[in-house]
Amino acid sequence: MIELRDVTKVFPGGTQAVDGITLVVHEGEFCVLLGPSGCGKTTTLKMINRLVPLTSGTITVGGRDIQKLRATELRRRIGYAIQEIGLFPHMTVAQNIATVPRLLGWRKAKRRARVRELLGLLGLTPVDEFLRRYPAELSGGQRQRVGVARALGADPAILLMDEPFGAIDPITRERLQDEFLRIQREIRKTVVFVTHDIHEAIKLGDKIALMKEGRLIQHATPSQLLAQPADDFVRGFVGTDRTLKALRLTSVREIMDSGPLSVRDDDSLAAARRAMDRLERSFLPVVGEDGLFLGWVGRNSVLGPPSVCVGDRITPYAVLGSPDMPLNEALALMLESATGNLPVTDEDRRLVGLVSFDRLFESLRQIYVEREAGEGSP
Amino acid sequence: MLSTMLRYLTTHWEYVGQLTAEHIRIVFLANGLAVVLGLALGIFISKRGREGLAELVLYVAGILLTVPSLALYGILMAILKALGLMSIGIVPVVVALTLYGLLPILRNTTTAVRGIDPAMIEAGRGMGMSETQILWRVRIPLAVPAIMAGLRQAIVMNVGIAAIGAYIGAGGLGQLIFRGIANTRADLVLVGALCVSLLAIGLDVALGVVERLSTPRGLRKGVRG
Ligand SMILES: Nc1ncnc2c1ncn2[C@@H]1O[C@H](COP(=O)(O)OP(=O)(O)OP(=O)(O)O)[C@@H](O)[C@H]1O
Ligand SMILES: [Mg+2]
Repeated sequence: MIELRDVTKVFPGGTQAVDGITLVVHEGEFCVLLGPSGCGKTTTLKMINRLVPLTSGTITVGGRDIQKLRATELRRRIGYAIQEIGLFPHMTVAQNIATVPRLLGWRKAKRRARVRELLGLLGLTPVDEFLRRYPAELSGGQRQRVGVARALGADPAILLMDEPFGAIDPITRERLQDEFLRIQREIRKTVVFVTHDIHEAIKLGDKIALMKEGRLIQHATPSQLLAQPADDFVRGFVGTDRTLKALRLTSVREIMDSGPLSVRDDDSLAAARRAMDRLERSFLPVVGEDGLFLGWVGRNSVLGPPSVCVGDRITPYAVLGSPDMPLNEALALMLESATGNLPVTDEDRRLVGLVSFDRLFESLRQIYVEREAGEGSP
Repeated sequence: MLSTMLRYLTTHWEYVGQLTAEHIRIVFLANGLAVVLGLALGIFISKRGREGLAELVLYVAGILLTVPSLALYGILMAILKALGLMSIGIVPVVVALTLYGLLPILRNTTTAVRGIDPAMIEAGRGMGMSETQILWRVRIPLAVPAIMAGLRQAIVMNVGIAAIGAYIGAGGLGQLIFRGIANTRADLVLVGALCVSLLAIGLDVALGVVERLSTPRGLRKGVRG
């Protein structure tokens, strides 16, 4: 746990970079420090590992006042990834990653095992190849990964990361973010992560601490921040499309109608017609014997002789959703699809749910309602 | 002329070889001292908070380099004599060459050690390195190429200046030149000059190889990727 209490930083020149911040980051929580350039994010981060001395206030890490610890010891217990990556060019990837373990006096065999583990974790494979490379022999994305691996070197409980996915192309960046989320779910570090990118903050953070001119404006979960912005600054910062951003936060799984009623391809047309009447639907999904989603059958095509079965009248599907898909993507797919219903399938293409326009609008409305309520109260 | 030079070389190769050996010994002795002193002093003055001192030291070393070598020998002879030390021969020459060699080594060491990318220092400090560990594990390894370049400059420069040391009895290839001048024998002067030049060029090439080999692999130009 990291606890900042009334933390202030005034630089020698007189710049007040941080102004009375109080913030708690719980064990295993991913806290994003967000805000415009120059608002004091980096300064706040660096005060936690004492790279910047505080002017006033207290910071505790794991319950202990950082002022009472030796700076070098404190830093060896906290993983740190800097914005410029800062890999040592004269050291191999392995030596870079083993920096803190070496400072801590780990034995060689233990260091080596740890380096291999981290290279594997960050997808730098084949491991034997990357071990021996020098930073100059890596791509930008690979360097960022090594930077993160180095921060994780001695398996610290706490990670401080200053725009670690800064200077790379958007696609690689998205991929690194996804991978980091996957890793974080596994290793559960307490993370303080600096960014000025609202999308990155929403995607990664359990909590977002939004800063402005050295002050903490709002500390909330991403959906709270979107639904109930504390003031005009927050509203402006999260942007006019916050409804869409809120959609990104919800997955299809959360709102889908799971175990939807469907007809089998070997059912008769008459049975399908009866089912439609009963459910008051004009389209029904069709599945095979094994539960595989095959397509749709519509009211217009179920009129026919009883001997014909549904399988002969299937309208092929245009789009498929997956349970982990965020709602903004689902909405986009539905706008393209003719039926206004999005079939949701698992990896084996078995039908697991349906999302209808009505359902989607309902969840959208809830976001609005929450927001109105949030804005009404002081 | 060329034939007299060649004849001299073929008949006196042993003597010329001995002078070359003396010459190399003087230069290496002096630069060995210069490297030790230059590195120690260079690292000392490049610590944070000693910027003023560094300016001063580099300034003095720069001034030393502008003193003509013959004058410096004279001054050193007087000083050494006053101290009761050997005031002619190899000693004043080695001392002078050490002083001359100091500047390139000092200058390169301090600029390199101080000019390391701040991100490296920040990374080192942020991971819990002490200032001393940062110096030895980050600053100095990263400065090696520049330090080696300074040493190479110093050695090549000193090969030429050492020739004048023969004037005060230090021996070396300068002897050929001074004897040639005294006896108006241009062939001797030319043989001496030629040997000094060849020695300088040879050492420059050899040290270029050493410089490349001593550069940490990750810093070499043309690493793959
Ligand atoms: N060493 C320093 N000396 C004086 N002022 C500083 C120093 N470091 C930062 N500042 C000032 O403190 C303020 C906050 O800087 P900080 O680096 O924390 O901003 P930031 O939020 O990280 O911005 P960015 O997103 O651009 O990195 C700025 O006004 C900056 O100019
Ligand atoms: Mg910053």
